[in-house]
Amino acid sequence: MTADAFLFWFLAALTIVSALSVVLMTNPIYSALSLAMTMVSVAAIFVTLQAYFLAGVQIIVYAGAVMVLFVMVLMLFDLKHELQAFTRGRFSGAFKIASIGSLAGLLVGAMYTANVLTVPEAASVANTTPKGAITPLAEELFLRNVFGFEALGVLLLVIAVGTVALSRSKGGTHARH
Amino acid sequence: MSHQLLVAVLILSPLIGFLLNGVRFKHTNYIAAGAIATTAVFISFICSVLLFLDLVNAPENQRTIAVGFYEWFSVDKFSINAGFVVDQISSIMILIITGVGSLIHLFSIGYMHHDKGVTKYFAYLNLFVFNMLLLVLGDSLLTMFVGWEGVGLCSYLLIGFWFNDAAKAAAGMKAFITNRIGDAAFIIGMFILFFTFGTLNIHELNALAPTTMEASWLGAVTLGTLMLFIGATGKSAQIPLYVWLPDAMAGPTPVSALIHAATMVTAGVYMIVRLNPLFVMAPNTMMVIAVIGAATAVMAATIGLTQYDIKKVLAYSTVSQLGYMFLAVGVGAFGAGMFHLMTHAFFKALMFLGSGSVIHGMHEEQDIRKMGGLKKYMPITHITFVMGWLAIIGTPPFSGFFSKDEILWQAYSSPRGHVLLWVAGAIGAGLTAFYMTRLMALTFWGTSRVDKHVHPHESGSLMTIPLIVLAVLSVIGGWIGIPHVIGESLGHIPNYWEHWLSPLIAKMPEVAAAGEHAAHSAVEEWLLMGASVSIAGISVLTACLMYLKNTDAPKKVSDAFGPVYKAVYNKYFVDEFYFASLINPLIKGSRNLWYYVDVNVIDKATYKTTDLVRGGGSFVRSLQNGNMQQYALYVIAGAAITLSLVLMR
Amino acid sequence: MPDISILTTITPNHYLVLSACLFMIGVAGVLLRRNLIVLFMSIELMLNAVNLSFVTFSHSFGKVDGQVMVFFVMTIAAAEAAVGLALAVSIFKRFKEVNIRFFEHLKG
Repeated sequence: MTADAFLFWFLAALTIVSALSVVLMTNPIYSALSLAMTMVSVAAIFVTLQAYFLAGVQIIVYAGAVMVLFVMVLMLFDLKHELQAFTRGRFSGAFKIASIGSLAGLLVGAMYTANVLTVPEAASVANTTPKGAITPLAEELFLRNVFGFEALGVLLLVIAVGTVALSRSKGGTHARH
Repeated sequence: MSHQLLVAVLILSPLIGFLLNGVRFKHTNYIAAGAIATTAVFISFICSVLLFLDLVNAPENQRTIAVGFYEWFSVDKFSINAGFVVDQISSIMILIITGVGSLIHLFSIGYMHHDKGVTKYFAYLNLFVFNMLLLVLGDSLLTMFVGWEGVGLCSYLLIGFWFNDAAKAAAGMKAFITNRIGDAAFIIGMFILFFTFGTLNIHELNALAPTTMEASWLGAVTLGTLMLFIGATGKSAQIPLYVWLPDAMAGPTPVSALIHAATMVTAGVYMIVRLNPLFVMAPNTMMVIAVIGAATAVMAATIGLTQYDIKKVLAYSTVSQLGYMFLAVGVGAFGAGMFHLMTHAFFKALMFLGSGSVIHGMHEEQDIRKMGGLKKYMPITHITFVMGWLAIIGTPPFSGFFSKDEILWQAYSSPRGHVLLWVAGAIGAGLTAFYMTRLMALTFWGTSRVDKHVHPHESGSLMTIPLIVLAVLSVIGGWIGIPHVIGESLGHIPNYWEHWLSPLIAKMPEVAAAGEHAAHSAVEEWLLMGASVSIAGISVLTACLMYLKNTDAPKKVSDAFGPVYKAVYNKYFVDEFYFASLINPLIKGSRNLWYYVDVNVIDKATYKTTDLVRGGGSFVRSLQNGNMQQYALYVIAGAAITLSLVLMR
Repeated sequence: MPDISILTTITPNHYLVLSACLFMIGVAGVLLRRNLIVLFMSIELMLNAVNLSFVTFSHSFGKVDGQVMVFFVMTIAAAEAAVGLALAVSIFKRFKEVNIRFFEHLKG
């Protein structure tokens, strides 16, 4: 077993376990911490895929900013251990799990039957650009996708204004003024 | 005024009267209600007179006023117009309807003044006149049928006018249902004629009538006319559907005079006369009509001999007289039938109104055994009633003599006639004379049997004026149709009636073949006339003897004829027979259908269907439960299914 | 000896399967949990799974388009989290509760 393989299996196990604990933990604060763990391990997987910049962004944006947001809100709510963390209904629960499992199995099956990655694997050999370099990403982002980039900036501005407006409104979305 | 406007006013005036009274039906002011209704009908009467005068002044071959208002409906090539025809036949009818109708409306003001539903009563009465005009004037069988149904409805409403009395309400229903049976046959008749000729327009039907007689019983014309005739037996109270008319006397007496004597019941005769070119070509139908008419005339007259209710006697008399009219049209004497229709409208309306006056004066007493000697209390009613009596028994020169004698002569002499039909008619005439004399003797003459606390009184002038007018008409009404033999001997008095109607009366092929030469001599006609008059005279004398001199004679006679008398008194048990043979099995069958088929099959099927729909609905609704996660599940499940389908391909 | 190359040789498919598993765990969270905040976290999980597959494709095709897309997704995810949490705060202010079983107003 090579080091690569060992690293992958280790990170995969860590991701899956922490992701599962996001869903299974009854206390939301544990869920939030598990989610942070998941983000970090996904960032590590990005590193193994030589996407170093994205790994950094993942840590900063997700594990940093978004998670802080979640935890802040949780703190605001001051929620304790929940009695009814999961949906009721034995039948509908079983049905949900069954459909989730079957969709997962189908996705995996689809990947193996479609075999999508065989031909491009050869093409990647011809790629001369060193992997993991940040310059091509910057070129891609700021030259060819500059419009989308700027549009995202506007979107973020709108979101910021909207969020402030929402939190200032009294009584939430069902308020009667 | 244009003819179109005249006809519109003629027809719509009673309808407007109906609406005016109908919207304020709870009022009890009898003067206002009566004034509205009577004025409405009187306006129609004026229009009728104007139209009639126009017809008289028109050249002989242009005596038809046809007006169309709009297209009622059209299906493919079949279209029905709201069209009306005033011609020689219908102008007579509208004169009778609106003329006699006005008098009866006037009478009703006096007769109904103490009734709480007086406004409703006048509204119904106007609606009836409207429908009757529709029936008479309609230029197609379908328009006629609308009026035909409409008068049936009004008849039902007015017979059951005092619907708080269960028996009277039941009489209304009986009339309606019996009429429906006839109406069904009428509709079938219309289908057959439409299927054969492709039109329901009366003028076109008459023009399309075959030129040769149809010998077969199953020919289209024979079947169609036979069906129409069955419809007529319902409306005009002939065997076998006559049973409703005697019960119809439950209604207010003026209603009996208007609907069940003068107008509605004659609709069947009118319809046959209207379609006479068709009926002439169906000799089998004609034979059936003549036989049924004669049989009804005799049978109803025998029942009339035994009844004690003044209105019942008149009702059976009406059935019997209608039988005469059918006998006339059955032997091809359409003019004579119409003639008797008119004179009968006069004298029978007079007698019904007279009986109304008697009932009114006797404080709602209808049993003639409790009357007698009313002559001195009600002089005007008595005199007018005598006029009606003389007319109906056929005393020359009262109107009934001319019309009845014409019918009897035609029954004998017509190519479609038979000596037996004459015999039946003559027997009927004798019986009529007998029971009418009995009615007169028991009601007006002889000694008084009135209860001590009842004080008979003469009715007011509102009621006596119509009586006097009708009495005059009953006397002179027949003079416009004086038979040739009498006219010749009195100095060339022409038969206006025959002349007036002749353009619309189809000649029987037999007559056309024989030429104008009468097969029978004038001597025969004089002989038969004398015979029928003397039969009537003998009957009158016998009745006078039995009911005025030997007052115990009737009892002896009825005892002598024991079972026969009982059968006749109970109207031959026809009602009972209908109940046992038709109505009760029908009720039983319907009940079984209800218990077994309806409850077990139809109800269950509908319940199961609703359960299915409701179950399906609640299942689908449970999918839409507002739980967002449930909705997400559908997305996921949908994705899984789609993916599995893609992979399986 | 059984073929263990599937364990020893790591192909892009391994990453994709991992991504699929992550995604389905996220779906399970959305379907099964009742806490609004945890629902948002599960959505973040799903977005991460998508990011992972983008990066995998980018790596194996040798192109950076996928990474640009991840960049965009991250931005939008952050924005979505911000709005969603603001809504959650509003709902909490009104109902004193973030359990979604109290919000079944979409009933048909």
